[in-house]
Amino acid sequence: MYVVVSPRVGTPGEPFEPAEGVNVQALLDAGFIAEKNAPKRARTEQEPDKE
Amino acid sequence: MATSTYLSSPIVTVNAVDLSDQCTAATVKKGFAALDATAFGDTATKQTAGLQENEVTLELFWSFAATETYATLKNLVGSTTNVTVKATSAATSATNPLFTLTGGFLAEMSPVYTVGELSTCTATFTGGTGTYAES
Repeated sequence: MYVVVSPRVGTPGEPFEPAEGVNVQALLDAGFIAEKNAPKRARTEQEPDKE
Repeated sequence: MATSTYLSSPIVTVNAVDLSDQCTAATVKKGFAALDATAFGDTATKQTAGLQENEVTLELFWSFAATETYATLKNLVGSTTNVTVKATSAATSATNPLFTLTGGFLAEMSPVYTVGELSTCTATFTGGTGTYAES
């Protein structure tokens, strides 16, 4: 998932969904967009099976 | 009555980057290769459409500033990308169609430095699929 950094490609902070054919790596390298890491899942420990 | 398009606020994007404020001219070519289909019995040559032959040429001011012309083009040389051109910033319509060149190849980046003038660069994107959207 990508997020807009430069107003030249959209509203900064909003998600960037590249259209088919867009060179995403070029946008990343030049700082127009950034990668947004998916939110980490809350770690849950499984309860031991009750016997 | 003759009509023409008055370019008051055209929109130009390269690889989804809006370079309208750096662009002074855009030439859009959408066409097909003309294949000779002349055969015995014909009294004149005739052609039929072959593959699409599209091209967009942009005249741009040259800038090394962040997120400007150089930053946009430097990683595109030798690769393909999308280029869009629309006559005005108004909504896309039949009278204000959006041309999209999908998969246009940028062969070179050639800035021109001239004393006493703003530096410029001509970027030509060749090949790819060209479509006009009216909505």
